[in-house]
Order: sequence, then structure tokens, then C-alpha cells
Amino acid sequence: MSRGGARILLGRLAPLLGLVILCVVLALTSPHFLTADNLVNVLRQSSVNALLALGQLVVIITAGIDLSIGSILGVSSVVLAMQLRAGVPPLAAVTGTLVLGALVGLLNGLLLTRLKLPHPFISTLGTMNVARGAAMILAAGVPISGLPDGFRMPFNGDLFGIPAAVIVVAIAGLLVHLLLERTVYGRDLFAIGGNREAARLAGVPVSSRLELAYLVSGLMAAVSSLVLAARMNSGFPLAGTGAELDAIAAVIIGGASFFGGVGTVGGTLIGALFIGLLRNGLNLLDVSAYWQMIVIGVVIVAAVVIDVLRARQGD
Amino acid sequence: MQPLLEATGITKAFSGQLALSDVSVSFFAGEGHAVAGENGAGKSTLMSVVAGILRADSGEVRLDGVALPPGDVVEAQRRGIGLVPQEPQGAPTLTVAENISLGETPAGLGLLRMIDRGRLNRIAADALKLAGVDIPVEAPFGSLRLADQQLVLIARALHRGSRVLILDEPTSSLSTREVERLYEVVARMKASGRAVIAISHRLEELRAMTERITVLRDGKRVLTAALADVTNADVVRAMAGRDVTSAGAPQQAPAVDVVLDVAGLGSARVAEVSFKVRRGEIVGLAGLLGAGRSRTLHAIFGSEKRTRGSVRMGAGGGAIEVKSVRDSLASGMGLVPEDRRGQGLVLGQSVLTNVNLVLPKGGHRLGFLSRPLLLETALDAIRELSIKASSVAAKVATLSGGNQQKVVLARFLRPDTRVLLLDEPTRGVDVGAKEEIHRHLESMAARGLGLVMASSEIPELLRLCHRILVFREGRIVGEMSRAEATAEGIVALAAGVAA
Repeated sequence: MSRGGARILLGRLAPLLGLVILCVVLALTSPHFLTADNLVNVLRQSSVNALLALGQLVVIITAGIDLSIGSILGVSSVVLAMQLRAGVPPLAAVTGTLVLGALVGLLNGLLLTRLKLPHPFISTLGTMNVARGAAMILAAGVPISGLPDGFRMPFNGDLFGIPAAVIVVAIAGLLVHLLLERTVYGRDLFAIGGNREAARLAGVPVSSRLELAYLVSGLMAAVSSLVLAARMNSGFPLAGTGAELDAIAAVIIGGASFFGGVGTVGGTLIGALFIGLLRNGLNLLDVSAYWQMIVIGVVIVAAVVIDVLRARQGD
Repeated sequence: MQPLLEATGITKAFSGQLALSDVSVSFFAGEGHAVAGENGAGKSTLMSVVAGILRADSGEVRLDGVALPPGDVVEAQRRGIGLVPQEPQGAPTLTVAENISLGETPAGLGLLRMIDRGRLNRIAADALKLAGVDIPVEAPFGSLRLADQQLVLIARALHRGSRVLILDEPTSSLSTREVERLYEVVARMKASGRAVIAISHRLEELRAMTERITVLRDGKRVLTAALADVTNADVVRAMAGRDVTSAGAPQQAPAVDVVLDVAGLGSARVAEVSFKVRRGEIVGLAGLLGAGRSRTLHAIFGSEKRTRGSVRMGAGGGAIEVKSVRDSLASGMGLVPEDRRGQGLVLGQSVLTNVNLVLPKGGHRLGFLSRPLLLETALDAIRELSIKASSVAAKVATLSGGNQQKVVLARFLRPDTRVLLLDEPTRGVDVGAKEEIHRHLESMAARGLGLVMASSEIPELLRLCHRILVFREGRIVGEMSRAEATAEGIVALAAGVAA
């Protein structure tokens, strides 16, 4: 194989390879790592980030970014808890929460396409603050605790030993995968991210596709709020603070290109798992939270370096 | 007399295509020297080599008899070669003075490096005086008219000691009065013993600025003469070439039904364009760079905003008015854009995706892609156009220029395509692929499509088109049938001079 070919292959397999290496290192250094309990725990803890990252992936494929998903998670969890505490049946409350997330996401898209804001960084930075503020006002700044079992069971229970949260991630991952790989919408999103002008000239309805991408991102943030609220037994106005950055990290570590046009659900889930395992492993090894931040920062930059090398290879 | 600047044996190829072939030209102090030629003749490439922006494959550039290091723009500037590009490039939010001193801003000593505003403005005033123009030094560069921006950049070049000043299409965006002022500046520069090189299509303006002319054609020097000794007709003939063959002239007379009717079309840069295209007809759009050919195609297709006029597909009662890209595609009009990497293809994606970027009929069911159909479409295209790719999954970035162009063309091989707009369909493809693309276009016309093709290559237009419309400054200034059209006639019309 040529050197170039080897490098491309390395780039493609880098996320999986990184994950495997990380597991081996952690298994060798900590006796507690390779236990069923611990691994299930990692999966459970990674699920919220994985759901956020799936939405972020859809947006990043269009060469965009969504900074508001952490705040959408927060406001969704508060609205969910308020409904449940007010006696709204779980199914209706869940539906309402999902609609809310999708609407905020759609708003992000509309700001970008109809008001023609120059970059999604701006529009989603705006909604990020608005949504967080709304969550704080609605919850008066404090968690809303004590959610009914009828809601918590489907999202926080186990099915044959598999955490429900993981099943939610699997279903969401499958749906996003189908959207991206099998539908016209997904194909158009890749085309927009790869070359917006070519997509426009080929008749791709760029604006409505971008609106869809941000809608999906908001929807996934609302889904993640279900999982988090069920686990915490509360709606929490500060939930998801900074979570958008972990989601972006998962997408990028998972091999998506920040320049758009490239990214997979598989890679993104691996990226989310990678961050989860890294946190878990560093905890087991008694590394302080501060040092964890440094390690994760280095990993993100390393992942982008790989992305840049691959982009250069593509020229 | 020793030339001030001398280029000898310059050869330069871009991915196998010769842009310049063994070109030698001498430029003398105190003299204006025009470099003329059709689009793609190699003028800009030659000037880029001289200014050190490009590195020639062979040959050398000597200033005062001393060879310049090839491809070193900074050193070329330091030794005295200044290039003023066609589109003035400056920092729009900085002042005129800051732009003139950019990169060597006068500053105080010490860590703070405070800018010495007084000195900055004095330097700028001196530089502008050198050019003989009066422009406020504290005005933001971006607030100036293009003409003044250009003069600021000329002043900058002079201030930095340029002895050779290269002006690329210096009059293309100037009003008559501004052109007069430019002539004065050029005259002053020549009087001070500098050499001025002007690239332009406009012969009258070249006569006003320069004494000598070099004409390039297809990367070769075909004429160097004192301007006083040649007529405009001589120059036009040299630019167009005598040996334009009419081999492979269009075979069949087009049928009569109108498939495209453009009426009074206007946009920001296009004024009142009207023409009709019939079934089986290939209509060529000729003109110089910026004459409005591309913009006309985009206005027809709906990808550029129209200010007036209408576009209809078909004739009579069955005609459909198209207003947007989606209308156009839905009623069977396609566009093959000029810049295939920037506008035509998603380079990082597969041949399969790119061929199907305009989804064929039945390409999806309820939003889900019909993958067997898409695969079949792509395989058909590869077979029919003999696209050389390792597989349908190959990224188009890995394909050659000619094969990339075929991928764009492949989108419109479908039975529902009725009109195809093509913008420079063979730019940057090798000779073999060009021939193939020409044959495909002919067979599409023979199948009854109406084709509209903008091209800067006149031989290509003469070979393929039944009719040629000549554009100048956003409007159609002439129409020639295949029988009437000659290269000289087209060049003369496009440049606005009598042949």
C-alpha cells in the first residue's frame, strides 16, 4: 500500500484505533476497569453526551456548529419536570419536551437561513443564552425533583442488564444513521457541507435542509434531557452547562471534519465513548478533574491534527 | 540598448497543459509595453512569472542583466518589479496611508512599537505625490472608488522603488475621466525612466499608454512590434490566429421548435439579453472576460437574481416560465458551471453521489434514496461518457479534470433534459477529453436538446455552434451564423474595435 493510502486508512480508523488503545492501557493500569459493572457504568454515563453528539454531528456535516444544545438540554429537563410534577401523563410530557427541543432547534435554523446571520456560531450562541435564561426563570434557579416512576422506568431502568439509556442511544443512532446515509435529506446535508455552491446549483434546497439539520440537533438535545432527568430524578436548570463542547469533541474525535461534508454515526458514538472511557479511567487512576481537562484538551487537538492531515491528503 | 527587464525562454505548464511555451520578451526603460491576447493566451501567466508569483518550468527573468530568483515575489519586489492587479487588493478598513506602508509601518522603538502616525502620513503623501495624484491619506482604503484604490496601489509600488510597473487590465473598471488620469500617471512614470507593462484587450487604450506591443496566442509569442507600425486589424489577426480551421463544422441544420426563449433578461451585470434556442441547436456565447456571458447563463438558470425579463422553456401555449434553479431543473434545464471544483462538484464525495447530485426521476421514495437506481444511473454515465474512475465509490477529487467535467455533464444525460447551459465546458481539460466532450455535446444536440455554451476559446465555438452571440459589457453586441462567423470578426466585436 502506498504511503498516502496508508495515511488515509489510518485517518479513517483513527477513532476506533484510539478507543482500542485506550481500553488496553486502562485495562493494564487499573484492575477495576475491565469489570462488567464499570463498563456498563461508562456506557450509561456516556449516553447523554452520545445523544447530544448525534445531533451535533448532523450540524457539523453541513459545516455548521450548534452551541445551544447544552442549554436546550437544560430548558427541556426543566419543562419536562414541570409537566410531570403538574400531573401531565408521562407520554404527553415526553412528547411536549421533544416538540420544544425541535422548535428551539428549528429557531436556530431559521435565524441562520431567514435572517441570514453570518455564521451559526452567532445564532446558536444567542439561543444558547436565551434557552439557559429561560430554564433558570422557569425553575426559579433550583432543581425540580421527584419525578414519577412511570416516566423514569423506560429511561433509567434496565432491559436484560442493558441500561435503557444505552438502548435509547442505539435507537437514536440508528435513526440518525438512516437519515444521513439513506435519505435525500442526509445526502443533501453532506453535499451542502462539502460544497454549498455546487449543492445550490444542483437544485438542493439549501435553506430548508439547514433548518432540518438544526431541528434534529435540538430534538436530540431534548432526547438527552429525558435520559438525564430520569437518571437524576429531577429537572435541573443548570443541566448540560458546557455539554455542547463535549458533544463537539465527540464528533471531531469520531473523525468528522470541522470543514463539513464528512462524518459518521459510528465514529461519533466511538468519540462519545472515548471521552467517557477517558474520564472513567482517569477517575479510576485517581487523576484529578483538573488534569482530566488537560488530557481531554490534548486529545481534541490531536484528533483535529489528524483531520487536518487528512484534508491535506484529500487535495 | 540593454533592456531593463528581459524574460527569455519562459515555459510553464499547468498539470500537463502548456500555458507558456518558450516566450521571450524584452522591456525597455522609459517605454510602455502592451501585452495582449485572448483569454487564456498566457498574458497573466507571463506577468506572474515576471513578478515572481509563479515559478517557470524553464527560462529566466533578468533585471538589469541580473537573473531574478525564480518564484520569489518578495525579492522581485525588492529589486523593483511592482504588479498592480486587476482587482485592487488592499486592506479595506485601514487608511490609505496604512495601506501604502503595510508591512513596513513606521513605528517607534521599544516593545510597544507605537505607530508613528505623522511619519506614516508623510510617507503616504510623498508616495502619492510621486504618482502625481491627490487622495486623502487618512481615508479608509475601502471607501475609495476602484480607480483611486488602483492609484494608491500604483503609488505604493512607486514608493517601494518599482522600476518596472505591471498593470493588469488597468482600465477595466474605470470611467473615461479616470482613464485619462491613469494615462497621465503612466506618462509621468515613463518620463522618469521606468518601464510600464500594460495587459489589456482594449487596443485604443493600449495605444494611449504604450509604444510597443507583444501579442500572445496559445502560450506562444506571435507578434512584437512598435505600435506605430501595426494596425488594429493586424493585432486582432495576431490575437485570433489565421489558422482557425472550420473542420468538424456543425452537421445538421437545427430543427425549428423553440426550446428556450430568453426575453429582455436583465440582472446586476446583464442588460436586456434576448435570444431563442431551437431544438438541436448549439448557441455559442462569445466575449471577453467579464463581458457577462457567465452571468447571463446564471440569470437564465435562476441561480443569479434577475431584475427584469423572463425565461420560458418550450414555445407557444405549452411554454413553461422558469424562475428559480428548482423550476429550471424540474422542467429539464441543466447548468454545467464554469468552475467545476468550486461550483460543479462536491470534491470529497464519490462519483456516485456527484452524478446523482441532481436526483434522477424516481431517485427517492418518501425521502429514502433508491440506491439501485442511483447506482445504475452512475454506471450508465460512466459507460456512456467513458469516465475513467476506479469505481463509482471513487472520490471525484482523485479524477482528472476531463473526467471530473464528464461527471458534471453526466447529470444531464437523462431523457428529461431539454436544455443544457454550459459555461466553459472544456476549460482545463486535456486535448483528448476535450474532443470527447465536444462529441458528446454534438450528440446531445443531435438528440434534440438545445445547448447554450459560453466559451473563451473561439475555435471551440466555431467548431460546435450553429450560431454565435457576441457579448460586450453585459449585452449582446452581435450575432453571427456559423457561415458568417470568423475568429477575427468575433474578437473585433468583443473588443469593440473595427477589424
